[in-house]
Amino acid sequence: MKRREIWRTAAGWVFGLSALGLGSTVSAQTPAVDPAAVQKLERMHQFLDSQPRLSVETQSTVEELHASGRRIDIAVAANVTVARPDRLRASRVGGLIDQRLYYDGKTLTLFSPAEKVFATEAAPPTVEKAIDFARETIGILLPAADLLYRNAFPLLSQDLKLAVVVGKAVIGGVRCDHLLFSRPGADFQVWIAEGAQPWPLRYTVTDTSTSALLSITTQLSNWKVPSSVDDAMFRFVPPKGAQQIRFLSVAPARPMPGK
Amino acid sequence: MKQSHYLPAAMALVAALAAGTFAPEAQALRGRGAAFVVGAAAGSASADAANANASASQQQAAAAQQQAATAQQQAEAEKQKAIAAQQQAEAEKQKAIAAQQQAAQAQEAAAAGKPLPAGTVVAKLPSGCTPTPVGGKNYQYCGGNFYEPVYEGSTLKYVTTTPK
Repeated sequence: MKRREIWRTAAGWVFGLSALGLGSTVSAQTPAVDPAAVQKLERMHQFLDSQPRLSVETQSTVEELHASGRRIDIAVAANVTVARPDRLRASRVGGLIDQRLYYDGKTLTLFSPAEKVFATEAAPPTVEKAIDFARETIGILLPAADLLYRNAFPLLSQDLKLAVVVGKAVIGGVRCDHLLFSRPGADFQVWIAEGAQPWPLRYTVTDTSTSALLSITTQLSNWKVPSSVDDAMFRFVPPKGAQQIRFLSVAPARPMPGK
Repeated sequence: MKQSHYLPAAMALVAALAAGTFAPEAQALRGRGAAFVVGAAAGSASADAANANASASQQQAAAAQQQAATAQQQAEAEKQKAIAAQQQAEAEKQKAIAAQQQAAQAQEAAAAGKPLPAGTVVAKLPSGCTPTPVGGKNYQYCGGNFYEPVYEGSTLKYVTTTPK
């Protein structure tokens, strides 16, 4: 499965384990959908959606099953900048891999500076569609895409089986509301800063379609709303000697007649 | 299908799972999860039955018994569901193993210097490849194969090709 080689996202796992434990103590007796939890989620999304520009640093932990059958945690750090509606830039940083992703409303480019190779594809005209395109057609997953996606709330809140305000927690020194939601196939938890600026500071998605219950956890820090961004940062200009290569498509580009 | 468009992280996880192999530990976990669901349902059934015994009314007892029976049926259904899930996981595992073997074979063949069918993807170049430009493009040549770098997702890999 080529989709395995996705652009991974997510965070430190020390708290993650206790978070999973917490999830299992929420028994079938818990009131199913607490409007307070849903309202907090909606407020966060409205806050994010209202920002014309955003930048954030992400630290992700992606749980996978190793060939030995043991769980392993892949760490991925990235910096992401979005300028709505049609600019996005992401860099994988601080790890073994140095990669940069550029989206300028027309094309999407992945560049590996060390190997001096890049690939460019024509991309759809909005950040949201580009995120979908990157995932479905190229197999690249952007860090915290659920949070950068505008109008994610109606999608995330649909078919909720469970919504709970778990309690308070402190993430990166900031007091947060810890929320838990369950949808068919996936649970997600989000830790949202208290107060007038409800930034999401941690986000965990757990795959409940198998009982391995693997998660991706992303810690989000240094949220900023830049007053302006240089358009050039979203445009890729191949450095001298860089070689253009291609993406192996994970899924054929699907024409959607009648849509 | 809006929904399938969404939760990219979760989808990626699903994909990662399908690609990974399920080990006995994971299977055991799976079993435990099923036992928990079944156990919980059976537990509430016996509690219902106990309540019924304490009651003076026979009718109530009968109703509770029926309830217990229903709970038991539910437990049985849950069990069947768990078994089906396990079977599915087993099938996925077999598929993943087959895919891994295929990849390993390709890698081995590449290492052994055997010519590979065009379009074979390897994670690493075999040793001893030499950069070989053909028609203005850079290839790596070794073992009778030309390789070109490609991105599979965000991972840099190599695919055998026939330079033109």
